[in-house]
Amino acid sequence: MIPPANETPTPSSPRWMPLGEMYGVYRAWLLSKRVLVLELFAVLGLAIGVALLFASQVASTSLDSSVRELTSRIVGASQLQLDSRDASGFNQGLVSQVARMPGVKAALPVLEQPATIIGPKGEASVDLLGADPRFARAARFLPHMSAKQLERQKGLVLPSALAASLGVGPLEGVTVQVGEKVIGSYVGATLGPSQIGGLAQSQIALAAITYVQTLADDPGNVTRIFIQTLPGQQDEARASLQTLASRENLILTSADFDAQLFSVASAPAQQGEGLFSVISAIVGFLFAFVAMLLTVPERRKAIKEMRNRGTTRLMTVQFLCCEAIVLGALAAAVGFVFGELLSAHVFRAEPGYLSFAFPVGSQRVVTFPTIALAVGLGILAAFVGILAPLWTTLMRPLQPRGKTTGRRAWTTRAQLIAGGLCLAITTLILILRPQAAVAGNVTLLIALLCLLPILFRGIIAAFGILQTPFGFTSTKLARIALREPTTRVSAQGIAAMGAMAVFGIVAILGAQQNLEQGLNRTATEVNDVTGLWVSPGGVNNTLGTTPFSAAVAPKLRHVPGVQSVSIYRGGFLDLGDRRTWIIAPPRNSPQPIPPGQLTEGNLQEASARLRGHGWAIVSEAIAHEMHLHIGEQFTLPAPRPSTFRVAGLSTNGGWPPGAILINAADYSEAWRTTAASALMIALRPGVTPTQGREEVKRALGPDSGLAVQTAEQRAHAWQTISHQGLARLTEIATLVKIAAILAMAAVMASMMWQRKGKIAYDKRQGHTGLIMWLALFFESAVLLGAGCSIGALFGVFGQLVISHALATITGFPITISTGAVVAIVSFTIVSAAALAIVAIPGAIAARVRPTNVMPPA
Amino acid sequence: MLSVEALVKHFEDGDRKRIKVLDELTLRVQPGEFVAVFGPSGSGKTTLMDLIAGFQTPDAGTVTVNDKIVSRFTGRAHADYLLRVIGIVEQPKEMKEGASAQENASLKLLRDDARHANQNIVPLLQELGLGDRVKQKVSKLSMGERQRVQIAQALSMDPKLVLADEPTGHLDPKRSREVLALLARLCRERKTAVLLTTHEPRAVAYADRALTLSDGRLQPYEPEVIPDTELGVPT
Repeated sequence: MIPPANETPTPSSPRWMPLGEMYGVYRAWLLSKRVLVLELFAVLGLAIGVALLFASQVASTSLDSSVRELTSRIVGASQLQLDSRDASGFNQGLVSQVARMPGVKAALPVLEQPATIIGPKGEASVDLLGADPRFARAARFLPHMSAKQLERQKGLVLPSALAASLGVGPLEGVTVQVGEKVIGSYVGATLGPSQIGGLAQSQIALAAITYVQTLADDPGNVTRIFIQTLPGQQDEARASLQTLASRENLILTSADFDAQLFSVASAPAQQGEGLFSVISAIVGFLFAFVAMLLTVPERRKAIKEMRNRGTTRLMTVQFLCCEAIVLGALAAAVGFVFGELLSAHVFRAEPGYLSFAFPVGSQRVVTFPTIALAVGLGILAAFVGILAPLWTTLMRPLQPRGKTTGRRAWTTRAQLIAGGLCLAITTLILILRPQAAVAGNVTLLIALLCLLPILFRGIIAAFGILQTPFGFTSTKLARIALREPTTRVSAQGIAAMGAMAVFGIVAILGAQQNLEQGLNRTATEVNDVTGLWVSPGGVNNTLGTTPFSAAVAPKLRHVPGVQSVSIYRGGFLDLGDRRTWIIAPPRNSPQPIPPGQLTEGNLQEASARLRGHGWAIVSEAIAHEMHLHIGEQFTLPAPRPSTFRVAGLSTNGGWPPGAILINAADYSEAWRTTAASALMIALRPGVTPTQGREEVKRALGPDSGLAVQTAEQRAHAWQTISHQGLARLTEIATLVKIAAILAMAAVMASMMWQRKGKIAYDKRQGHTGLIMWLALFFESAVLLGAGCSIGALFGVFGQLVISHALATITGFPITISTGAVVAIVSFTIVSAAALAIVAIPGAIAARVRPTNVMPPA
Repeated sequence: MLSVEALVKHFEDGDRKRIKVLDELTLRVQPGEFVAVFGPSGSGKTTLMDLIAGFQTPDAGTVTVNDKIVSRFTGRAHADYLLRVIGIVEQPKEMKEGASAQENASLKLLRDDARHANQNIVPLLQELGLGDRVKQKVSKLSMGERQRVQIAQALSMDPKLVLADEPTGHLDPKRSREVLALLARLCRERKTAVLLTTHEPRAVAYADRALTLSDGRLQPYEPEVIPDTELGVPT
């Protein structure tokens, strides 16, 4: 019931509806319980979209920001840095040389080593920073200590969050492992947010440089020198430093270069997550759009009433715009709260494997653009949801409803053409430009919404035919109810919600599964080449990049059950702005190249070349950047720059910046080292990995810092770390699943409640409450089944689009599959859960008395 | 076959004041008898129908149909009563618009033989002059045709008693006469009792007995003098 509107406007009457009148109209509009319920759903759907977008944006910016903040804190006032090309560093005597160079104000040395700290409550992999007192004071670490006090420190300074997770406080003992060396130490101090801001969440440990040199068995060496230049003399300083760098084979870069490297490293993962977040946000907004569509019949009636009472078109649009602002603002506020909770407790930034090469923290960073984006899109979606479906109604003059047959046929034709066109565009994107996955999934969703009414009618018709031979009363009643025009919009809305939800879930989980399968395969192929792996313990060394002395190898060759011991080498090398993973298996490895990773080249030929001298397998992104093809040469800027030829191209093995594979002997020559990153132990026939592991552990002794893993254990450790970064996708899919189940169940319950009059009518024909409940059950099952199955079908296509996009964007090894299992499971869970929930309101509705609901005569 | 004894029913008005709608109302309808009950809007006609159908419980008195007290029916017993003993002809506002005339008329038959319900209702629809409209969607039928579908639905299980509450209230005079004539003929042929409530005087011509509901009680109907032209009786 809309209150009387203004009189028909005359030239002197206002063009705009007064605010008070608008409030009255809106209040009257909400008096209908059905409208109120559906408007709340619209708000819920919008809020979900806003929350997902906000939470995933916060997580992404936090990851990047933690590294930037640490870098900025360490860099301080420095403009340049000289960086070693390997973990062992260079002689610290260079520091005084640099300090005397023209234009240089200060030279601050740092020794950086990956380490593991073990406390009473657990262990943590950290970036151990050895700094001299001037550096520590420049970076405002421990400003209250004098230079002498800092120099004498033989303990560690830890961020408060890290210390808490280890269960230690100031002056309490910890164990430190650097490489294979394990040493007892203590916590000199802990630093909280008030002292070091967001770094209190970082995975770093600070110590005096001399102490770290002792821990790392690297006396007299440093890995970087941060350089502060004199004002106006940076170019002069850079020129002389470049000469020194060329002479000493060091890298001269900007002081914040690590942040740039991290951006490159995290970009593919962030792009991938961004893709999933956008898809889940689209699904969320489409929930809202569908929920708003359910109110279109009421809005049309309301518009007609308003227009009949003389409200102008402009006033009507004004009213609708105000409604959109109210809904959008409410949804944005609710979504913001949800999003905050999500980002704080669920969508934590999981750096996963990135922490091997970067000091990634876990603080949350919320920026104004993130808030503005989420809120703005929420309000925009509200406007689109309210105005778009009513545009033709608003534009055309009031007239009685004409014949619908011709209009229906035209609409069906238009839906078929639009849907077919969108499917064709999606297919073209999949084949020709897979990286445009967001656009591909948008067109796929549009195709779904266009074709859904036609497919839905087909499924209803099929249900009608299939149930006929059985002759069940409840299925016949369900069939009749499904064809009712008064509930057609609601029914298709519910089916659309189910379709979109299952589409989103299948697309996301299917792509995640393909990604996981590819990474799992890599982990197995790389690690399964031998029975046992021996390497320094700690998560940091999962990829085999921490060097240690290979002196223990001859001893292990004589352990019972051991057939052979080979040296595996690996590390990170900065190639331009890529922190590249260098993989160097021994020449005698049975499978130096993981077969599933080779994307170009012959496996046998490439393996034979790799066992020789001067050949490399290069990941596609690096090869593309350096314009390399098979057979061509390139120079690897190792400590001893070395020339290699390309034997084949590969995936990046799950390391986003890229990987290069050479043999261990070539690595030894290029890095001027005899150190190992791991020992590969082949076992004699008949010796199980577990038996072999026990023997080797016994030979190493209890105080050894080296961990002994079977191939399976090591592969599992890889998989655990790589899956960490994918955990967010499961969280997004779970959220979409829960939202869809609750939304559909609530809309169906509302629909049932509204149909009490019809249920009473059927009961007046002698149908029992049980028959009516079964009829409602079957009707719900068909609605949900139809929507969810259509969504599953389109979702399978969607996950193919996303998987191909991920393979192109990230360079990860991805195993493309149809995702049929994911589709079936998702369809079953969503439809069964919604059906189970709706059984209760269905039972309540079926208990309605068969009374004629007219008031007493 | 229908016996209403000293029926009393109260309702609360908007000010929560208790109003007696039916005041010890008594009525008996014999098998095959057509009884018309007149009364203006608000006189209690629909309440009487609801009590006979068992949709409401009386505050006092009894309604007995075929020697069974209606207010004692619960659950399945009540559903069986609505299915087999009585048929209800009401205004067609809750009909299934998306279903055909056949499907609407055979709703009761679904309980006994869902597989053949649609075929079994066809002869009755033909009797009602809807033979060529059986497969037509209800939304395409005129109001008079919809009312005939309602009659078919009410008679589909050969009930003992038909309750028709203002079945012609929304029809023009010509259609009203057609519907009343059909209802009267079919019920007489089946020896089905009919209790019709209406405020239209022309229904008297089709009833065996006419009563007026006034002040909660039934009295013999005393017609106003209405010109023949209004009744539609040819002069």
